Amino acid sequence: MANQTETQVELRPVSMEQHHKVSCFLAREYRLLDEEKFDEWLALMHEDVHYWMPGIENRRRENLLEHGFYASDHMAYFDDKLRDLQRRVARFQQPSAWAENPGTRNVHQVSNIEVYYGETDGEYLVHSVFQSVRSRGMDEEYVIYGRRTDVLVEEGGSFKLKKRLILIPNATLSCKNINTFL
Amino acid sequence: MSNIIKTVDVTDSLENLSEFCDIENGRISGKIFSDKAIYEQELEKIFARCWLFVAHESQIPKTGDYITTTMGEDEVIVVRQKDGGIKVFLNACPHRGNKVCFAESGSTRGFICNYHGWSFNTAGNLVGQHESGIYEASDFDKSKWGLKEVAQVDSWKGLVFATFDPEAPTLKEYLGPMTWYLDALFDNQEGGTEFAGGCIRSTYECNWKIAAENFVGDILHAGWTHDSAARAMLGGAVAKVSDFEESYSVNWNGHGYEFALDTVGNVAVLGESALNKYVHTIKPSVAERLGEFRSNMVASVSSCTIFPNFSFLAGQNTIRVWQPRGPNKIELFSWVLVNKSAPDDIKEKWRKGAMMTFSPTGVFEMDDGENWEYCTRTSKGKVTGAQDLYIGLGMNTLERQTDLPANVYKGQLNEANARAYYQHWYDHLNAKSWSEIPDRNVGKAEVE
Amino acid sequence: MDKVFLCKVSDLAENEVKKIDNSEHGDIAVYNLGGQYYATADLCTHATASLAEGDVEDDLIVCPVHWGQFHIPTGKAMGFPCEIDLRTYPVEVEGDDIYALVEAADAALIAKG
Repeated sequence: MANQTETQVELRPVSMEQHHKVSCFLAREYRLLDEEKFDEWLALMHEDVHYWMPGIENRRRENLLEHGFYASDHMAYFDDKLRDLQRRVARFQQPSAWAENPGTRNVHQVSNIEVYYGETDGEYLVHSVFQSVRSRGMDEEYVIYGRRTDVLVEEGGSFKLKKRLILIPNATLSCKNINTFL
Repeated sequence: MSNIIKTVDVTDSLENLSEFCDIENGRISGKIFSDKAIYEQELEKIFARCWLFVAHESQIPKTGDYITTTMGEDEVIVVRQKDGGIKVFLNACPHRGNKVCFAESGSTRGFICNYHGWSFNTAGNLVGQHESGIYEASDFDKSKWGLKEVAQVDSWKGLVFATFDPEAPTLKEYLGPMTWYLDALFDNQEGGTEFAGGCIRSTYECNWKIAAENFVGDILHAGWTHDSAARAMLGGAVAKVSDFEESYSVNWNGHGYEFALDTVGNVAVLGESALNKYVHTIKPSVAERLGEFRSNMVASVSSCTIFPNFSFLAGQNTIRVWQPRGPNKIELFSWVLVNKSAPDDIKEKWRKGAMMTFSPTGVFEMDDGENWEYCTRTSKGKVTGAQDLYIGLGMNTLERQTDLPANVYKGQLNEANARAYYQHWYDHLNAKSWSEIPDRNVGKAEVE
Repeated sequence: MDKVFLCKVSDLAENEVKKIDNSEHGDIAVYNLGGQYYATADLCTHATASLAEGDVEDDLIVCPVHWGQFHIPTGKAMGFPCEIDLRTYPVEVEGDDIYALVEAADAALIAKG
């Protein structure tokens, strides 16, 4: 998306093997969400995680915001730390989460994965494209797609998610809610 | 100015309207949530007639600052003028009708139509066109072809409202004594309020009245619908509203505000102790400014709708408009309100907390959406839509002996505001002009 | 060289612009930028618009129709969609009277009024 206005330092791609490890991590993360294994999903979060999905604003080119179509101090779908993610998960897990019973059927898909060495040792900058398809009830279907920029930290042979930026192209969400993670 | 909208055509009312709305007996028909003919009447007799919220002054502080929004299904531009005033125009070129402003907000010197290059300044005047010379031969009078200007625009404590109807009463009369209660959120500190940046827009497959009515006076749903969110945010159930010693439902001209006097019940669900503390810290100054009573309302368990579709929650500080998009669809525009004078970290916590609870990802809102969509959806059934729906709670709770302004009802677990809302809705649909709308208010019209 | 009377000093407040009709050379815009007087063609080089109806911002005139900008002292086109520079005229002030010195020249450069 034309949103990326930050000047990028030269990106150093990782080895094919490392790329494969990151891809597997992202695929597993999404499978955990599809299977509602929220506690295992939370365990993938770094303790200082910033999970951010800013609202997209339809602005003219001569009136761009801090990051083009979004800004860090504007309204956001997610602007979460670990505590906030835990609270969202806690709601999903309540027996009184009426709108989750019958449950939502999720398919999360990730592609266009690019993996680069991050700013510090053991950190990786990962670009990807996602698609989330949800179905509820007999016939509801909601599709959300967009781009992500993650910062992963290598820890004990696997990774933790330290930063996630989620950008959807829509200035108006075409459905009523986002009752999942992206 | 010749470009101000002067009249809006009004058709006859539906003949069978009274079948759908029997307020005295606490009944409405599900059909009002899905009937296309009723919806067309609403666009004409409510959205082209009433005062509608269009912006907060803080969104457009400087000359040329604008936002785009809709009044009913009509697209409009709200723009700050050189003299500091605000004008609202149809976002449609008077040549072929194309939209002249495609951005949702920004700052500009004017608006140029992409189709034939008609150029309008921020005052809405047509100042030029592509190949402007050729218009002269047709005796073209530029002054008559500016952007169409909405009949009346006014603001109250930072909230900008507009109406297409030149015959509409003043905004002050329209809001009436409700402003006394609105002060609890919009004027509790010197300097007033502002919006956080941005506007989140989402789409519900529901009728606009279901959402508006939920905010006009339905706290009853909160304890049940939102149990999961409350447990997630607070670690326990929401406060049991029936335990409150004192709470009210007040209404006027279809507007309604239901509230307890527990000061922080609403803000508490944001799960940020700093915000509770802020409310407690400012409370003495609020009491000095507005009196003891309203200082208990700043962030208490409460909700409000200003007829027809402007709603808010004091405490969560979510501000929203339910934009009608057909009988079965709305676009929800939502914003976050903060006190201008609040410290930056408090504003920041409100920005995040409001979104965490009431937004498309909000843990509270998720359970609302499902309910509202299926209330609408079931009403599409021919037989189901015809069934009576009960809104009779609190039939005999009018407080006749009270110093409080507006129509005051005892207790917030009460459908008095919903009844007043639907009654006013009915009265509009039944009236060809403002003068035909009966005054059903029984409480005090004056505010001190 | 024509010496064209524009207006009186007292008729042109600071940071104001005024259109002077002139059927021979094309209309002229006269500016007062902090007590310094300038004159340019009034017709925008991009589309039909009287620059005198636009806003003076520092030493720029902003066209009222498409918001292109010209540098008032030099006539240089400064912003989209204007690409052709604006003709400028030397100005003389005699007592209370402001004059432009207009070269009876190159017709292509002179905007038609």
